[in-house]
Amino acid sequence: MTSQIRKIHDMLVSKEISCVELTKKYLAEIENSNKELNAYITVTPDVALAQAKAVDEKIARGEEIGLLEGIPMTLKDNISTKGIETTCASKILTGYKPIYDATVYELLQEQGVVMLGKTNMDEFAMGSSCETSYYGGAKNPHNTGYVSGGSSGGVATAVGASLAVYGLGSDTGGSIRQPASFCGIVGLKPTYGAVSRYGLIAYASSFDQIGPITQSVEDAAIVFDAIAKYDEKDSTSQGGEATLPTLENDIKGKKIGIANQYLNGVREDVKEAVLSAAKQYEDMGAEIIYFDLPELDFALPSYYILAMAEASSNLGRYDGIRYGYKAEHYNGTHDMICRTRSEGFGKEVQRRILMGTYVLSAGYYDAYYKKAVNLRGAIVEAFDRAFEKVDVILAPTAPVTAFENGYLFSDETDQIEQYLSDICTVPVNTAGLPAVSVPCGVDEKGLPIGMQLIGKKFDEKTILNLAYRYEQAVDNFKETKWGVKL
Amino acid sequence: MVTREDIENIALLSKLFVDEKDLDKLTEEMQKIVEFADTINKVEVKTGEFDNINNLSNVFRKDEVRESLPVEEILKNAPEQAEDHFLVRKRA
Repeated sequence: MTSQIRKIHDMLVSKEISCVELTKKYLAEIENSNKELNAYITVTPDVALAQAKAVDEKIARGEEIGLLEGIPMTLKDNISTKGIETTCASKILTGYKPIYDATVYELLQEQGVVMLGKTNMDEFAMGSSCETSYYGGAKNPHNTGYVSGGSSGGVATAVGASLAVYGLGSDTGGSIRQPASFCGIVGLKPTYGAVSRYGLIAYASSFDQIGPITQSVEDAAIVFDAIAKYDEKDSTSQGGEATLPTLENDIKGKKIGIANQYLNGVREDVKEAVLSAAKQYEDMGAEIIYFDLPELDFALPSYYILAMAEASSNLGRYDGIRYGYKAEHYNGTHDMICRTRSEGFGKEVQRRILMGTYVLSAGYYDAYYKKAVNLRGAIVEAFDRAFEKVDVILAPTAPVTAFENGYLFSDETDQIEQYLSDICTVPVNTAGLPAVSVPCGVDEKGLPIGMQLIGKKFDEKTILNLAYRYEQAVDNFKETKWGVKL
Repeated sequence: MVTREDIENIALLSKLFVDEKDLDKLTEEMQKIVEFADTINKVEVKTGEFDNINNLSNVFRKDEVRESLPVEEILKNAPEQAEDHFLVRKRA
């Protein structure tokens, strides 16, 4: 896949199409297919067209425009947008219009963004299929009988179906990479601290990170370079290093590690696709090194303990007093808050709040929370040791391809199975590392398979360089029947 | 073992209202999640050093006076408000 951003940029500069015409094309396609795909929760034609008009005026004045200027995109609905409803796909935030913009949206506005709307997600980003959304899940553009993945399912569907050129999602335990993998596109989870989270509605603050979802690796690099800036409004912000200058570098001699534990329990066809990508890398002159990372075995339960604990605290703010939904009938303040939260939060969110409260409560804190923090330290150290020997780690993004609609919530599937599906993505968030998911094949049903390249902290440039070289050698992008054809 | 009383207790701490009829199912679900969480207690680790991901400490900005967000803007999102304040009624 080649850069869609560059392609559209060239079309705008050569006046092959105006930005308003382009934006109208996207809005019309969203109108046509959103009922079926359910990618967008809120479409913002007025905002998008005003932004597009400004770009056209700039072009008409003969001024130079930047790469991202006038490129129609979307934001996951947990990224705050001033005056535009931001729901986190939860009933409890219906009608909530933030009074400030998230830093990432501010940065993109400075670059002349065209924002088409806010996209669907699992409620408060808690889920792996987009189906915990109060608005129902986004559908997979390759086959609407299957889920988009989650939690940033709406962004992945929108970008996969060409209902936006790119989007920003958030990744707490795989929420950018897994839906990108399910929808056959590229998803970059940056290093913890590379991109400001100011204005991102919090789920688990020591894991959350914003990143791009795109059709091509180069697009992911372009967007990452634009948003990876230090921001004093996020105390964990450090900014990132530019990735575009080294994108096309030779990868000869690069050491790619494959941790045996990452292949355990992975479906055979997914494993084969990843190993055939490894072979491709070998052919291009990289060295494949197999090694053990036994700490991965406890990455998943420790992640869920910590994420749920942080969620129970972060979601304490929803009380029906300052914003969002409020229970209609109640007797006393405590009753009002309890009813508001029980009526406003969905089942999965309530389960995670309860579990988070449980592991933090007296008598359980040491056995669960404190132990999980210690294990996190052990996982961080294990990755540090691995990166003394290898430049990147190659792994499947998910052990399977997209689930059938409803599968994760049918009576036969217990919720632990849903959590287990995050096994490949979670360790990256635990250690705060960057990782990019790129398509590496399809299964027998034609559903995309994804692999991820995991890098050292703040080394997005190496994983994107390797992802780019693979994509240029083996193009696994499959166009869907949906969306804007350019 | 997670009991119904445990769930009632953490629901109270979480400010969530659990319907009597949902209590058994929720207890069962929570038992499964706790069993899953318990798997970490089978692991022996000697390390315990973890503070934060990038080992940042004392992240402060200059203590400068800046303009605050306007009260009327903030109150726009409140379900009920009165005279520049959030309004909480005793009952409804």
